[in-house]
Amino acid sequence: MKKVLSLLIILSLLLTGCWDKREINELSFVQGIGMDIDKDKMCNITVQVLKPANLATSSGGGGGGAAAGKPYEVYSSRGVDFAKAFANFNTELSRTLFLQHNEIIFIGENLARSGIYSMLDFITRNPEFRRTSYLVVVTGGTLDDLMKLSKNVEKYPYKEILGMIQNQRNTSSGYVCDVNHFVETLETEEVQPIVGRLEIVKKDGKPQHARFVGAAAFKYDKMIGFLSEEQTKGIMWMDNFIKNTSLVIDKGPKGDKTHITFTVIKAKSSITPKVNGDDVSFDVKINFESNMTEQDAVYNLTELKMIKSLEDLQEQKVKSEIEDALNAIQKKYKVDSIGFGQKLQEKYPKVWEKIKDRWNEIYPNVKINVSVKASLKRSGLTSKPIQPR
Amino acid sequence: MSFWNNKFGDDFMDRSYLIENYKDMNLYDDIDKNLDVLKALLKQSSDIIFREFRIGEKKVKAFLICVDGLVDKALINNNIIEPITLETRKLDGNALTKKSVYESLLNYFITTADIKEEEKIGDIIDSLLDGDTPLIVDGVRKSIIISTRGWEQRSISESTTEAVVRGPKEAFVETLRVNTSMLRRRIKNPNFIIESLKVGKYTKTNVAIAYIKDVAKDEVVEEVKNRLNKIDIDGIVDSGYLEEMIEDNPFSPFPQIEHSERPDKIAAELLEGRVAIISDGSPEVLVVPTIFVQFFQSAEDYYERYYISTLFRILRLAAMLMSLTLPSIYVAAVTYHQEMIPSPLAISIAAQREGVPFTTLMEAFLMEFFFEILREAGIRLPMQVGQAVSIVGALVIGQAAVQAGLVSAATVIVVALTGIASFSIPAFNIAITFRLLRFAMLVVGGTLGFFGIIMALMMILAHLASLESFGVPYLSPLAPSNTRELNDVFIRIPWWAKIFRPHKVAGQNVKRQNYSRS
Repeated sequence: MKKVLSLLIILSLLLTGCWDKREINELSFVQGIGMDIDKDKMCNITVQVLKPANLATSSGGGGGGAAAGKPYEVYSSRGVDFAKAFANFNTELSRTLFLQHNEIIFIGENLARSGIYSMLDFITRNPEFRRTSYLVVVTGGTLDDLMKLSKNVEKYPYKEILGMIQNQRNTSSGYVCDVNHFVETLETEEVQPIVGRLEIVKKDGKPQHARFVGAAAFKYDKMIGFLSEEQTKGIMWMDNFIKNTSLVIDKGPKGDKTHITFTVIKAKSSITPKVNGDDVSFDVKINFESNMTEQDAVYNLTELKMIKSLEDLQEQKVKSEIEDALNAIQKKYKVDSIGFGQKLQEKYPKVWEKIKDRWNEIYPNVKINVSVKASLKRSGLTSKPIQPR
Repeated sequence: MSFWNNKFGDDFMDRSYLIENYKDMNLYDDIDKNLDVLKALLKQSSDIIFREFRIGEKKVKAFLICVDGLVDKALINNNIIEPITLETRKLDGNALTKKSVYESLLNYFITTADIKEEEKIGDIIDSLLDGDTPLIVDGVRKSIIISTRGWEQRSISESTTEAVVRGPKEAFVETLRVNTSMLRRRIKNPNFIIESLKVGKYTKTNVAIAYIKDVAKDEVVEEVKNRLNKIDIDGIVDSGYLEEMIEDNPFSPFPQIEHSERPDKIAAELLEGRVAIISDGSPEVLVVPTIFVQFFQSAEDYYERYYISTLFRILRLAAMLMSLTLPSIYVAAVTYHQEMIPSPLAISIAAQREGVPFTTLMEAFLMEFFFEILREAGIRLPMQVGQAVSIVGALVIGQAAVQAGLVSAATVIVVALTGIASFSIPAFNIAITFRLLRFAMLVVGGTLGFFGIIMALMMILAHLASLESFGVPYLSPLAPSNTRELNDVFIRIPWWAKIFRPHKVAGQNVKRQNYSRS
């Protein structure tokens, strides 16, 4: 009896095997998936599917010999909702779509404007989607255009865009948001999401290249407007996203017209709510350190006074970026993308309880004081500039 | 056999009776009777030499027996026959009795160091077949056994299976005495004891148990003796027989007794309190109790600088894990967990597998199978041909199979890496255990994925934890854990810091040294 029982246990372990077995060469790797809706409110999905044999560099592997063509193929599918559209791919593909290596989800402009809730539901429900995939709003062309961009350093457009996103992350030159972050902000009371915006650059009507231009501001799951690059920067300053970024000021210490570029190496922001009776205001404090990377004019950085005035210029610049951003989100779009409400709730929960329901009306008129403290750390390898005589 | 009956009366018997009873028979007074009995027992073999001669003026009858090839003939000629035949003539003939002839032979004439006396015919024959020379004199019911062992033997040569860059080069040979001498030369202490016993009904193999009293646990020594005494087999040809007969868990795939052909290694283990079992005819000496990590300690670890030894040790443990799990992890990742592979690698593997007719599991299994065939062929083939086979094999299973699209390059790389990893484990016996388990892991990984691999690893670990070798848990000092002794597992601490012996092994006397530099 004992033997039979142990045999049954062993069999129950072993016989579960193989049910989800998929050979790696029977998968179509999706790298780059885009979702949009069209005029008839039908859901569209566009995928970039890789052709591994064309990608591989080695001559072996059985396929070899044939002239390497395009290493990817683009497919589109349509359906009443995204799950149906996704299922419709099976009618035209020889292999099952494999999403687990996909790291970017592109959102079409139409979908972004009409709300991406259904898309989020679809991708968070399906275990094959990575929750760490980056979300990007695509403007200036269709998703199909994006997938077929011709100007690539990498072997296929997806790789190019992924590289751009990672590059931006390292240099804080654009707002990078992933699914997790988006869902988190969506579920947090009174913080509104921001998503990076990718613009397709066309030449003679043909899509050529793509570049990141600022970001898109969302109210709940609906996009309500775009933010310029400068405004995006301002938001990133407040959101503590800045590292290793460049900062250009376009006037010299004496008001002369010139260009000086700094690299921000370290930045820290803090937002403190202040309550005075019924009056709510916020203090935004930014501290950052920078190095000088380039200058047009001839400044002698061995002078303490010069350093101080360069720091002042940087502070003014950052302050104007932030105020520009605040102007856009607070006055123009009236969305609390930074989470001022959240900060208030954390520090003064009782006050928040009182004004919670009116926050949408209060927020656009709340006073936000910005103060910036810059410190110039190094001036590169030269302390005294090259002086032509 | 009427001849016997007529000559010796009815207390005498035929050969089959002798064979059964000679062990307990005593020598007779009558030398002719003794000669006849011994001849009846031994004369059929052509290598047994009977030499009869007479001693002194009274011409007392005497004879000696020796085995041609087992004895040092020069020794017999110069130190036994020459003094007896030439010198005994000077004895005063009248005062001699048969008894005094025997006494004077024992005391004066035989000029070798190692002699003893035996009365039983069985003991006499045992010594004879060991290479000793029994000398029997008329009228005395005792025999002088002269140690004359000296046979052709392999000279002490460099260790081939456990070669080191730094450290002693000599290795054990097939002769027990030479082996014990190598140990004795290293440990010069009266407490170093070499006990011996015979195992095997026919082979009567000399087996020596060597240990350092006060350092080795008495219970372990007793247990070793007990288990060896319980063996009742016709013969022991190699120490491998003994290993299987006395190990704790006979069904485990894991070796529970370490063996080595390096005397320096065995001496070091004796100093840790272990017991060595040396079997005549085998250059591999067994050591008990054995723990798992011993198989990953090379003799060289203790001679080279401890930093580098530590690195090598960790490397070997990594190689062990690799040789056990790499193919199964590869197969599981490629067939079930494609998301775990970095994207560029996944795409590259997918491209390589394009057009390969087998499933990944089948592919890996076939490659492993071919690799094992190649390895086996490499051992069996004569050296001149071996090289050709390995070149052809490497080309066939490597280059050609990939180009023909039969297997993917990634699988070849995985199998090759695994093969190399398994050869970097210093102990061959545990390396082949992992090689065996690798096939099981492969099947489990290919049917159940990572889940199966983890299950299998847990089962192996549980099995290892359940093993014991002569009272010492196999996984100690890891489990049961003893942090003090971890200094010789993943790392090798310098000698000046190694103050204690492993306490599970040594028991009563754990302190190695009083001096420490730290």
